[in-house]
Amino acid sequence: MSTLIKASGVTKQFGSKLALDNVSFEINKGPPVALVGPNGAGKTTLFSLMCGYTFPSSGVLMLMGQRPGNAHLFGKLTALPQDAQLDPRFSIIHQLTFYGQLQGLSKLRAKKESARVLELVGLGDAANQRPKDLSHGMRKRVTISQALIGKPQIVMLDEATAGLDPVHAREVRELISALSNEATFILSSHDLSELERLCGQVLHLDNGKLTEHSALSQSTNNQGFVTLRLSQQYDDAEKVFSSLPSVRHVHKSQAKEYVIEYVKSDEAFDIQLLQCCHLQGWHYQQLINGHTLENQIFHKG
Amino acid sequence: MQLNTKRLVNIALFELVRLFLTKTGLLAVAVFSICWLLVLRYGIAEAVNLLSSPDFSQFIDYIFGAAGLSKLLTWPEAELAIYWLIAVYSFPIFCLFLCTDQTVGDRQRGTLRFLSLRATRLEIILGRFVGQVLILITLLLITLLATLAMLAYREPSLFFPGLLHSFLLLGYLVVAVMPFIALMSFINTFARSARLAFVVAILFFAGGNIIIGLLAWQMPVLEVLNYIFPGYQLADLAAQDAGLMLSIGLPLIQTMLLLIFAERVFARSSL
Repeated sequence: MSTLIKASGVTKQFGSKLALDNVSFEINKGPPVALVGPNGAGKTTLFSLMCGYTFPSSGVLMLMGQRPGNAHLFGKLTALPQDAQLDPRFSIIHQLTFYGQLQGLSKLRAKKESARVLELVGLGDAANQRPKDLSHGMRKRVTISQALIGKPQIVMLDEATAGLDPVHAREVRELISALSNEATFILSSHDLSELERLCGQVLHLDNGKLTEHSALSQSTNNQGFVTLRLSQQYDDAEKVFSSLPSVRHVHKSQAKEYVIEYVKSDEAFDIQLLQCCHLQGWHYQQLINGHTLENQIFHKG
Repeated sequence: MQLNTKRLVNIALFELVRLFLTKTGLLAVAVFSICWLLVLRYGIAEAVNLLSSPDFSQFIDYIFGAAGLSKLLTWPEAELAIYWLIAVYSFPIFCLFLCTDQTVGDRQRGTLRFLSLRATRLEIILGRFVGQVLILITLLLITLLATLAMLAYREPSLFFPGLLHSFLLLGYLVVAVMPFIALMSFINTFARSARLAFVVAILFFAGGNIIIGLLAWQMPVLEVLNYIFPGYQLADLAAQDAGLMLSIGLPLIQTMLLLIFAERVFARSSL
């Protein structure tokens, strides 16, 4: 598996504030990678470093063997930077065509490519409009479309679905999912369930420090986890689940939600658990095989 | 240092489009055209009448002589002489207005972030600079052609000599405005808005002149510092008294140094 991005001991300081603290990670070509963390954790700083918008105070960051900002990355790495806007005075197609030309396409091809990416985000009809004439959500989709021009190998989207209505957010997620065979997406979002659906590798930043997770929980050979979300609060649920023969530990992760650790056996544990709920007359909302990303990050106990 | 000519040309041409295909750009061109129409009609045309009037010839000789501009009176193309006098001072100042927003607006809006993933910072700085130079060449050409038209209307036989002379003047004027554009390129790398960029430029000229004046008063040798100011040669250039080094060499060196500073600052700044 080829390494696309490699960070070694990357530190970024803004005056006395440490935005990134000795961050090291590798991103390989493959399924989308999530970058999560609370506000001010350093996500946008890490994005900015990878895009070459700003520079690390120390450490080394390499993208496809090149330093960020190197001309060899043009067209191979694209991004949706947070809050960045197109020029409000020019039509969208004009600006996207310009970007396509800078990526090495002829004017004609750049124009066709611009029309194609606008179609991808459902804005084919808005090509000749200016960004200032569009709604916030449409502007966001236009800025996503510029990141899809050409054949990028890495696409970084910072808060791509923030500010989009649920329908368009879903369309963007589907688009990312559909294109994830062609490019490696790096996504930052506060919507953990969205990232869970899309991503394999998860980089979690908190106070500038990085930890790595898998969107799928880790099960070992002889123990497993399930996360059960009940439809309402049942007082003795924890006790009942604990009494099941293969259950090792039950943890109430949040209201109506339980993380159940069990010993693997020949019998399917999830069937046992659902039968137990049925016998108790309890309704469940969701059964997840493993830990949710949210629980991995915020409820480590 | 990575520089791709094709990308640079694309960026420069996009600047031209900014002026001629956007409403604000067209508005600027319209205001510019109206101002120059007034200059041509009430400035140049009237001045030419005065210059060619025998009643005022002695007075004009005295005034131009006192101002060191006697050489201009020898030009048969009087329209071009007056045009030159107005253009050589007004275009550099106009440049400061026109070039206030080379990169600063795009940086504030985040548009530079899209651009910097497709072009090096050197290409962006140089591309924008070249784009502004192209805009100024276009505007200079428009005004020169209008002046030539007036000249041909008054004296058709002067059209072809005037045309050749115009190309020479165009060359001098383009070189004269280049350091002003480069200065704005440099200021744009650290200013936080186009308005602030203009204020910084004014402070640079006003404050800088005062400071160097005071320093030179204490140590006359420091008068040499005046060479850092774009336009230092304009008075000599206007009077056609500047040698090649002063009229061409100095502004080109200033331009080059300012662009190097601009690239260095821009390459190190966060977008």
